[in-house]
Amino acid sequence: MNAAIAAPIFLQSLSSPTASSGPAASAGGGSSIPRRVTLLWGGRAPPSLRSPSTRTRAAARSDGTFYDLLGVPASGSSGDIKKAYKELALKYHPDVSPPDLAAEYTQRFIEVHEAYETLSDPDRRALYDDHLRSGLHVLLSGQRLDEEVDDLSGWRSQWHDQLAKLKQRSKNDSEGNLSWGARMRKRWAESS
Amino acid sequence: MAAPRLICFSSHFKASSLTQPLFDLRLQTGVFKPRRRLYVCASLLSDSGEYYSQRPPTPLLDTVNYPIHMKNLSAKELKQLADELRSDVIFHVSRTGGHLGSSLGVVELTVALHFVFNAPQDKILWDVGHQSYPHKILTGRRDKMPTLRQTNGLSGFTKRSESDYDSFGTGHSSTTISAALGMAVGRDLKGKKNHVVAVIGDGAMTAGQAYEALNNAGYLDSNMIVILNDNKQVSLPTASLDGPIPPVGALSSALSRLQSSRPLRELREVAKGVSKQIGGSMHELAAKVDEYARGMISGSGSTLFEELGLYYIGPVDGHNVDDLVTILEEVKETKTTGPVLIHVVTEKGRGYPYAERAADKYHGVGKFDPATGQQFKSSSQTQSFTNYFADALIAEAEADRNIVAIHAAMGGGTGLNYFLRRFPTRCFDVGIAEQHAVTFAAGLACEGLKPFCAIYSSFLQRAYDQVVHDVDLQKLPVRFAMDRAGLVGADGPTHCGAFDVTYMACLPNMIVMAPSDEAELFHMVATAAAIDDRPSCLRYPRGNGIGVPLPAGNKGVPLEIGKGRIMIEGERVALLGYGAAVQSCLAAASIIEQHGLRVTVADARFCKPLDHALIQNLAKHHEVLITVEEGSIGGFGSHVAQFMALNGLLDSTIKWRPLVLPDRYIDHGAPMDQLAEAGLTPSHIAATVFNILGQTREALEIMS
Repeated sequence: MNAAIAAPIFLQSLSSPTASSGPAASAGGGSSIPRRVTLLWGGRAPPSLRSPSTRTRAAARSDGTFYDLLGVPASGSSGDIKKAYKELALKYHPDVSPPDLAAEYTQRFIEVHEAYETLSDPDRRALYDDHLRSGLHVLLSGQRLDEEVDDLSGWRSQWHDQLAKLKQRSKNDSEGNLSWGARMRKRWAESS
Repeated sequence: MAAPRLICFSSHFKASSLTQPLFDLRLQTGVFKPRRRLYVCASLLSDSGEYYSQRPPTPLLDTVNYPIHMKNLSAKELKQLADELRSDVIFHVSRTGGHLGSSLGVVELTVALHFVFNAPQDKILWDVGHQSYPHKILTGRRDKMPTLRQTNGLSGFTKRSESDYDSFGTGHSSTTISAALGMAVGRDLKGKKNHVVAVIGDGAMTAGQAYEALNNAGYLDSNMIVILNDNKQVSLPTASLDGPIPPVGALSSALSRLQSSRPLRELREVAKGVSKQIGGSMHELAAKVDEYARGMISGSGSTLFEELGLYYIGPVDGHNVDDLVTILEEVKETKTTGPVLIHVVTEKGRGYPYAERAADKYHGVGKFDPATGQQFKSSSQTQSFTNYFADALIAEAEADRNIVAIHAAMGGGTGLNYFLRRFPTRCFDVGIAEQHAVTFAAGLACEGLKPFCAIYSSFLQRAYDQVVHDVDLQKLPVRFAMDRAGLVGADGPTHCGAFDVTYMACLPNMIVMAPSDEAELFHMVATAAAIDDRPSCLRYPRGNGIGVPLPAGNKGVPLEIGKGRIMIEGERVALLGYGAAVQSCLAAASIIEQHGLRVTVADARFCKPLDHALIQNLAKHHEVLITVEEGSIGGFGSHVAQFMALNGLLDSTIKWRPLVLPDRYIDHGAPMDQLAEAGLTPSHIAATVFNILGQTREALEIMS
């Protein structure tokens, strides 16, 4: 859940000593000498984790699933996943990536980050595994054999799935749901 | 362009064309792929594509009078029923005229709804009232379809007093979600168990009220179903003069990009689970966490509707009865759904190739020949007031670069399609959003432009607060051109412009005028263009001009504000008409002249400011003063009476009588029938004159 907040913290912790404090270290002393600032992201806004292009690209990797992205098997343990993530993050982090590959590496970094977010949380990982099993990732990715047929039959599988979700979440009005409608439904259910 | 590919879904389908599918899964990849034509097979009325000029055979439809007769049909029979229903709609509309394209688009949806739900206990609301023709045929009114839109016949829209199956009357759009929510909440309060379904179009979703309703529906969480019928037609008549109009506004493209990313919706479910564990008593905190989670995850996955709290299902092929029935059955069975939005994609005019191919999709047609699609247009010597208005505005705009025009999804109905063609950057279509149109015009006026808001008289009602607060209170020079003022014929009371004189003339800063013929219309458009220090409005009726010579080059001459004119000089009785009623007065004068009395006829031109000198003159030299207008009480006549009373003119022997629309709604019908019902025909006016003069025998003669 803390996607957007985690990123900056992570960046700070990961920023290598050489990048930020080189000139300051050599200057010595406690006075803050204005150092040359290298603008992260080249002065533009950082590709937000929330922006459609980055997320959708991440969600629809053409070379496979989140597992493939991190290079761990589907049955990998959370320790494996964490290790793989740290490695890849260090490799693709914009601060340490070679300048000519910066843009591409940044994208991959974001994709790897999202993969880790999903796979590290056991609940989300379980949902993701369901998702893979139902095969919809093929639908959502770029690998479609026949786009037109998939458009309409893709619609069908999509709303089948939505209907299933609807039934699942509507088993009963749980305790936490105190909307007006839920209260009325409960009242009539109890009285009948 | 990629070559079209043929796909057959079942033996029923044959080749036809479907414009690009609304929903485009390509966006998941983040890569732009050129849209390809999707060719699906459409069901034709008959294998050989014949369209019957006589009544088409409808064996299955003949057995269905009410929805209950449909309950035992198989899937195959339902499809056949849809086909027959479609051909029946085409046949009936070809005989009577009416709205065709939208009805054809929802044939399968109507069949599916009536099959799954049990009207009239289950409430089905049609936001687009004029797409209810298939609904009317299936709900016991098939035999009355030949009377559609005629006097004492079926209404062209849903109408509660006409049938129990019409749950809510519609005519202005975007109201059904609100009404459906009200019905759902009422059902909950009373403990009933019926279902409530609102069918709304994508065009109607450009109006704010739809979102007000969705927002409230998501909050209250009462069980109801909203069916978003998306045919990508946001503006009417769905085409400009030169071809189809691309959908107006950012909302249409947002609907196009609609996608429910499954992983992200699941994440939200998980987030909700976490918030529930915090504790049932901490409702506030839980709600905040949920909202926070939603906000975090939104952006690429969550749709607008889910943000508002509705469960989104779709997109669904709206011409596949099986799919629709499956989904509706499932949703119906689920006990606690809260509000659900089903996004259905249809094609306007589907199943009738002439309609599919037409740029305006045969939105509204006169009588036509089904076999050829040719409409029978009545010829007339003069054009409609709408066309004259467009010509006048174009002439003004040629002379003055600051003139701009605004309309609310009614390019054809207001004639501004011509203006658009001539001045593509100076014509603004805001979608079905009259309130925004008015305030938008106010903003334009602030910048020194000269905005003309062309909004039908009855549709401007929706924007009344904006007129008062944003335009009149601040004295901004916005010009309102209110078409369809007065009675409108076949469209009935939902489109009738009865109230605009009343609600405009009571505003302190507004200049209110009405032309009595098309030449006056040109002059009044010029006058409105010249009034630059305060708002102004002019009203004109539906129908054609009377045939007076037009000003040269279509350029009118501004009138002196607050000055009327005397058309006929006479004695004893003065008929003071306002707007189109002046023509009725002139006709009444000729009837009266046959009985030996020559009356004065005057055209007031301005309701605000009134021509004081004219009224004083008429009051001084006549025994009787009759004010005539095609508007409700509180309009022109009331302003005249107010003036006369305040100036002591009523203290003498003059008799003042008003002739206004009666204090009830006039049903749809032929224009002359409506005028007769309202008591405003020339005969009625003449009879009134004689009645006041005490010559009741003449009055009776005229009326019989």
